[in-house]
Parts: sequence; C-alpha cells; structure tokens
Amino acid sequence: MPNNVIDQSKDITILEVLDRVLNKGVILTGDIVISVADIDLVYLGVKLMLSSVETMEKLKSGQSLTENYPNN
Amino acid sequence: MNDNKLLFNNAALEELSLNIGKLLNDDGSKLKLTPENADSGLAKLVLTLVELIRKLVEKQAMRRVDGGSLSDDEIERLGETLMKLEMKMEELKKYFNLTDRDLNINLGPLGNLM
Amino acid sequence: MEKMIYATLSSNKNIDEINGLLSSIKGISGADLYSVKLDEISAVVCDINKIEVVADKENAIEYAEVIENIWNQFTLIPMRFGSILDSKDAISNMLSKNYSEFKDNLLKVENKCEFGLKVFCDSEKIIAELKENSNNEIGLTPSIENENTNSVFRNYIDKKLKEHRFEEFLLSLVDTVINEITKQLENLNAINKFKKMSSATNIVDAYILIEKENKNELLKMVKHFQNQYPSLNFILTGPWPPYNFVEINIK
Repeated sequence: MPNNVIDQSKDITILEVLDRVLNKGVILTGDIVISVADIDLVYLGVKLMLSSVETMEKLKSGQSLTENYPNN
Repeated sequence: MNDNKLLFNNAALEELSLNIGKLLNDDGSKLKLTPENADSGLAKLVLTLVELIRKLVEKQAMRRVDGGSLSDDEIERLGETLMKLEMKMEELKKYFNLTDRDLNINLGPLGNLM
Repeated sequence: MEKMIYATLSSNKNIDEINGLLSSIKGISGADLYSVKLDEISAVVCDINKIEVVADKENAIEYAEVIENIWNQFTLIPMRFGSILDSKDAISNMLSKNYSEFKDNLLKVENKCEFGLKVFCDSEKIIAELKENSNNEIGLTPSIENENTNSVFRNYIDKKLKEHRFEEFLLSLVDTVINEITKQLENLNAINKFKKMSSATNIVDAYILIEKENKNELLKMVKHFQNQYPSLNFILTGPWPPYNFVEINIK
C-alpha cells in the first residue's frame, strides 16, 4: 500500500475512535452542576456531564475537562 | 492508535475521510443564542424553520407532479411559485449572511433537523 | 484525588486477581489502573488530578486505547471520555445504584464485539449508471416533457422532479440494502443498529454486534455486498469494544 493510503486509513480509524469515545459509552451524570450560561439549549433535556458538542469544542481549544464545573 | 481498524474499504479514501470528518465535526450547525448574537441567532432559527417548511412544500408538490394529476397550466404556475420561493430564500440567506449549512439545527442525540 | 473511570466489567475473579491482570495495563499518562468492585461488577479506574486532565484529542485517543487494552482481558462496557468521580465511595455508590442495568448490559455484550459498517454513495456515479440503463426505470428523464420545454418554470419543475425521483430512488435503495444486510446478519446471530441517510453521501450507518469468531464471515459478507453494489462504497471497521450497545441511564 502506498503511504498516503495507510495514513488515510489511519485517519478513518482515529475518526471512528473519537466518534465512539466522545459520543458513545456510558455517561456519568454525577453531582456536577453545569454552568448554565455556556450550555446549548438543545442539550438542556439531556443530563450530560459532557455533551459531545462541548467536548468537541474543548478538544479544539484544549481546555481542562472540568473547568466549567466550579463547584468541585 | 497502533491498530488499524479499517477492515474493508474499496473507495477513494480521501473523499471518505473527508466525509467522515464532516460527520464528526458537524458542529457549525448548532443553534447558539446569546445576547450578542440574538439578531442573527433568531434569523437563523426562523430561516431554518422557513426552509424546512419550504422543502416540505416542494417535496409534496413534486409528489403531485409525479403523480400526474396536475394540468400543464397548474404545473407551470407551480413552477413559477416554487422558483420564486427558492429565489426569495436565497435573498434572505444572503441578507443574513447564512449558508445552507447554517440552516440546520443540531438536535444533539437526535441528529440534524434536516 | 479524583478517579477517572474507563469501563465497567464483569468478572467472578476476586479483586486481587483483577488488579493483577490490570497491572500490565497503564491508564492515561501512565497512571496505575485498579478496580473498584461490587459483587460481580467492577469499575476500572485510575487516580487523576482533574484540573490537570486536558480534554484534547490525544487524551481522548489514549483513553480509548486504555479501554481497548482492558477489553482484551475482560468483557466490559466502555464509559465515555471524561467520566470522573470524586472518590471510591462515589464509584461504589454509582455501581450499586445501577447494578442490574450494568449486569444486563454486560451479559448482552459478553464475548461479542462491535463492527461499524458505513455505506457511502457517489450520487453522480449512480445517476450516470441509471442514464446508461436504457429502460430508465425510475424516469430521470421526466415524462412530462412536451413542446413547452422553453418555459423557464416548466424546466425548473423538470429539474426538481429529477431530484425528487432520485431521492426516492436512493431511499428505496437504502431500504433494499438494509434489508439484505439484515437478512445476512441473521445467520451471524447479530444485533444491529441502523441509521439511514446520516448525510447526503453517508446513506447507511450500521453498528453490528457479533461473536468475535464471526469476524471473517462478516468481512466476507461485506465484500459480497460491495461486488453486488459497485456504485456504493462499503467501509467496515472493527473490532471495537461495544460502545454502541450500551443502554444505561446512570441514576
């Protein structure tokens, strides 16, 4: 296989991994209060500690996982 | 990842990883309303709903045309109306600086509205 | 110190044996893994300082790798990246409140693994093929064509009608493909989840849960479908831990 094909198939693997680990799997709600000003309206009904959208945003900016939860 | 989990694939990978990338990163479509963007946020919300209804109307119209129950004259008028609706929509999108991609709402676990 | 939870597993081994098996695996940034056990289920955790855990792509991938390494040794249910609780007690409490759900889910995925099957379509390729097809079953050439073709509005309708018919065709194709896949999967005793039309090109998104040893059968099946539908692109990935077969709402 040429190198770029290997790279691209690796890309697909990584994208599939991220899709699973960020969007699937058991969600813990815990006792965490999510700051309201920052949250998507659409997600209000879902008790998520980290919604995939939030996680994605943090992935881009490299924030700490928990800095939106100041009560801990 | 040391493991390559791609077991089978027959296609141009470049195009596909692009597609998968889009699927995973499709967060330009979230509806965010904040005090700063209330205007454009509201426009986005309203236009999304208008576009949804326009598409439903168009779909229903095409079913009728396809069914063959409409006269030539009716088809002609339908064409004019639908075309004008689409043009008007384009104008509005331009005015509010919105793209087709913006006119969708990410419903989170429920997927996209359109 | 907070605890990062990677997975919940079922094992009738005692806690020392489980921790012994876990000792060969490392958590994020090399932290030691250990289990918090409650009867037959255990949460696999490591100590972290949560202020220092950065939610970046590298950590997410590393987290997935840890889950995968644990999965090589145990039947498990993956937790989502970012699952952190304050103490061992909090974890025990979480396990005890959701004990039967965890047990049921673990039983369902025992000795099984997940595969992802995505089907993409290249609309232009399909349209081109349909045009070559002389009898033109789906009527991409509109039947309402008449002398009036110089009318702008009529042309507009014709164009829309073509799009409409193509969409209908694609939808029925998707249903056919899903039907055939489902039928074939019955032989593999699989549990499937299908999503139609995730995007304009991603027409089928399927997750398949089967016994580990059926992997080659599945691969053979996908190759067969690829031959049968040359205008579609089939992508099979796996084996994965059962991320998409978790049905637990944590209390």
